Amino acid sequence: MVLMIINHILRIAFLILLQCLVVNKMLLLDGLILPFVYVFGILMLPFETPRWLLLILGFSIGLIMDYFTGMMGLHASACLFLTFMQPLVQKFLSPREGYDATQRPTVQSMGLGWYLAYAGILVFMHHGWLLFLEVFRLSSFFDTLVHVVLSSLATLIFLTIGQYLIYKPNSYEL
Amino acid sequence: MKNVFALIKRLHVFLLFLALQVVALIMVFESMFYHRATMLNAASDAVGNVYKQRAWLSEYLRLGEINDQLSLQNSLLRTQLENNYINIDTVTHNVNDTLLLQRYRYHTAKVVNNSLNRESNYITLDKGWSSGITDQMGVISNGALVGFVVNVSEHFSVAMPILHRSFQTSVRMKRSMDLGQLQWLTGDPDIANVEDLPKHVLVAVGDTVVTSGFSKYFPPNLPVGYVTEVTDNADENEFHIKIRLAAEFRKLSHVELIENLMITEQQQLEQQAEERYGTDDH
Repeated sequence: MVLMIINHILRIAFLILLQCLVVNKMLLLDGLILPFVYVFGILMLPFETPRWLLLILGFSIGLIMDYFTGMMGLHASACLFLTFMQPLVQKFLSPREGYDATQRPTVQSMGLGWYLAYAGILVFMHHGWLLFLEVFRLSSFFDTLVHVVLSSLATLIFLTIGQYLIYKPNSYEL
Repeated sequence: MKNVFALIKRLHVFLLFLALQVVALIMVFESMFYHRATMLNAASDAVGNVYKQRAWLSEYLRLGEINDQLSLQNSLLRTQLENNYINIDTVTHNVNDTLLLQRYRYHTAKVVNNSLNRESNYITLDKGWSSGITDQMGVISNGALVGFVVNVSEHFSVAMPILHRSFQTSVRMKRSMDLGQLQWLTGDPDIANVEDLPKHVLVAVGDTVVTSGFSKYFPPNLPVGYVTEVTDNADENEFHIKIRLAAEFRKLSHVELIENLMITEQQQLEQQAEERYGTDDH
């Protein structure tokens, strides 16, 4: 249990640094595509995490991102929305008999189809909330929408690759 | 009252979300109005340090590119140095209303091949006549004498360094202004010899040896080396001096080529004089 918590904390810290020091410096298509790969750490949180804890975690991770990017509240708001929606999406996608205690929100545990739907919906929500809040002008609605869709796809690709990178046979401690 | 608590308990997740979301949105709109305002200051040092580490790392990875830029910059600056210009006497000439006329121009090149361990070593450079390199250009590294270009192709040139049996040029002891002849007889890529220095000259270990300016290839006062050993044979009239070369041949990577803009004029004049009055050889 303690090992699992440390594992999550280390993963989130690594992803925040990866996001700020590497991904934010890459200019894919002149900045049109900006994946936010750090949501990987939030999506990996176990199913049984209490909802209030999930919200506080999302808010804190978002605030740390905000300190790095310099626009206060932006990531905090988006991550809060993400962590609010996360259990709802999980419930929506849940198998008929619900999740059992050994299952984790990973490709290995839930299958690729489930993961793509889970991560796809949540990443799109997070990116949409974040980028629209950042722009906050409806005049560039379609530009921002293209931005959101492309960035979400890039993030989703990254997360799926990440799922296979952390794959450990017979391990449920992820 | 009981109902209110029950409602709060039932909706506690949504209420928490709402409360935190209000905090976050207030931050967003505040920072939209006051750009990167006060709230950032608390953490900016820590964040700044992380970014500084990153910049250090990425700078380290680009050191090669930075070196290229620096050596280009150096050659531009060296071109502007005063001793590349010769004085024009304004009493008799008035050319473009300037006192100085450029004599030496610098080009940069990278060493692509460099031998040290043979008796006649050569240096291959990555620029040829397509970049304006001609033979008889001087080669220096960090301002210190290296050699001169002897052969040029379209994209490469070959220089004869000091570390060549037939390399010879006149040098000057910086302190006493006396002339000697630079040669390489030692076979050690760090050490060269200065010959023909008469015994009345005061030479001490550590003295600097510079170019004399008599060569057509090099401007005067470029550092050549530092005296490490003075041999005084009783039955000879001259010192045998060993110097540690100022140019680090073992680490040679970026060099500069010196173009003497007046070399043709000087050569023609010397040739005319030789034709008219004969040379020593006759």
